[in-house]
Amino acid sequence: MTRDEIKDVILEIIQDIDEDGEVENLNADEPLRDQLDLDSMDFLDIVMELRKRYQLQIPEGDYPELASLASCVNYLEPRLKDV
Amino acid sequence: MASYDQVIIGGGLSGLAAGIRLARFGYKVLILEKHAIAGGLNSYYYRQGRLLETGLHAMTNYAPPVSKSAPLNRLFRQLKLSRKKFLTHQQLRSTIYFPDGHALSFSNDLELLRGEVARLFPGSINRFNSLVELIDRYDPFVNRPWRSAKDRLHELLDNERLLNMLLWPLMMYGNCNEHDMDFDQFVIMFQAVFLEGFFRPAGNIKDFLDLLLGHYRALGGEIRFRAPVKHFAIVDKQVNTVVLESGEEIAAGQVISTVGYPATLQFMASESGPAETAGYRGRMSFIEIINILPSEYRKKIRSDETIIFYNLDEPFDYCCPDEAVNVNCGVICFPDNFHDLAPGAEFQLRVTHPANYQVWKSYAPEEYATMKKLWADRSAGKVGEIIGNYREKVLYQDVFTPTTIEKFTGKANGAIYGSPIKLKEGTTPLANLFVAGTDQGYLGIVGAMLSGVTMVNKHIFKEN
Repeated sequence: MTRDEIKDVILEIIQDIDEDGEVENLNADEPLRDQLDLDSMDFLDIVMELRKRYQLQIPEGDYPELASLASCVNYLEPRLKDV
Repeated sequence: MASYDQVIIGGGLSGLAAGIRLARFGYKVLILEKHAIAGGLNSYYYRQGRLLETGLHAMTNYAPPVSKSAPLNRLFRQLKLSRKKFLTHQQLRSTIYFPDGHALSFSNDLELLRGEVARLFPGSINRFNSLVELIDRYDPFVNRPWRSAKDRLHELLDNERLLNMLLWPLMMYGNCNEHDMDFDQFVIMFQAVFLEGFFRPAGNIKDFLDLLLGHYRALGGEIRFRAPVKHFAIVDKQVNTVVLESGEEIAAGQVISTVGYPATLQFMASESGPAETAGYRGRMSFIEIINILPSEYRKKIRSDETIIFYNLDEPFDYCCPDEAVNVNCGVICFPDNFHDLAPGAEFQLRVTHPANYQVWKSYAPEEYATMKKLWADRSAGKVGEIIGNYREKVLYQDVFTPTTIEKFTGKANGAIYGSPIKLKEGTTPLANLFVAGTDQGYLGIVGAMLSGVTMVNKHIFKEN
């Protein structure tokens, strides 16, 4: 997947988690949690959805890598390159 | 042999929530329910063409859909259910009623209670406001040892009557301990009842259970009814298979038990002898009397509130009575009294009192029926002193005792709020067995469901 495709997947997952989430105007470098009012339980859903869709195992220690949209893309790019 | 990633024992609200959570992310999951319908403590049955609810007086933790961080809305997101499509009816107003005409009313707007405290206890209002601030900031889900809520409230409020009046509804709706309450439990309940408040889902509990079951099945989850568990086959300190009463064995990667810790210990016990469960058997059980009354009688009695929590005993003590029932204290609930509910041809009056399991258990079948009648009558006499006489107008009446509760919920001793020893972590001596539900410290319908969700998140999603 390209960086843009990964970004779209993340936005789609967030939209799916939060029916009111406004994903259009997200700042890519700011923490998603602050911008979307998500908590750690919601955050786990991003991890679980990636596991379900791509059989991607993200260890708990790596969760901070998913903090912002930009860091998500950076973290996932090498892991989803063959998808 | 049938084989599942996870087997959940109990199709009550914590089991359904855990099942939905697992099925949502593609796990192969099976719920085993002993009875013919789901819901556990919060279920329903039919009598004379009426659908009657069990358990539910009201749901706690009311929050409008916009409050994203509220427990109710977090729960809906976790289950991938639309909160906006979930229609709710908020309570009208409820009252805590004590001797000497002391009465405090509250609603889902904290300002009503604040005003009532200022009126009845003007010297304590500043301390009450500080308590509310403290509770607002407090995280009760940190794993702390048991601390006395009474001692802490003595320090914080310095007013015996006020603290007992605040404790009473919170104890009646969720305290497994006699005489006192864990301070963290008090905070959980204070937030759920006074800061968030009571509501009902539109429709009845069957509609709510059908919503959850339909969602669970649509996600690929399976449920079997009339499938009581007999025991676990254990290999290397792990549950290897779940053995049903029918003799069938089901292989399980992980097991979540929602039937209470005493019953779970029985499943784990070896064939050589029963498990030691005494310490985990709660003593607080209840009797509930459902009365159906004609609608026109509504105006003849005090029936403009949603719930009345009354206590006429001096000194106040939340405990298992020596007699079969203590009618000097109880909860009077009008399930039709929520905002925007259309009045029907009949209305319901549900009354709950603390009751003694051992006494009810000791009755022979005929005596049991007589005692149910006798205590329902005494209850009506006492409740009549508060809301006005209704005894002769009852169209239909049904009574649940502690033994009824034990039979239908599996809770040892009919202790609906579970074991006095709480297993906050949800772990057990078996590596792949977890517990969820009332024995974990979460309370009410929203609490039970969050417990199921939290245990799945913590022990299955993060560990796998």
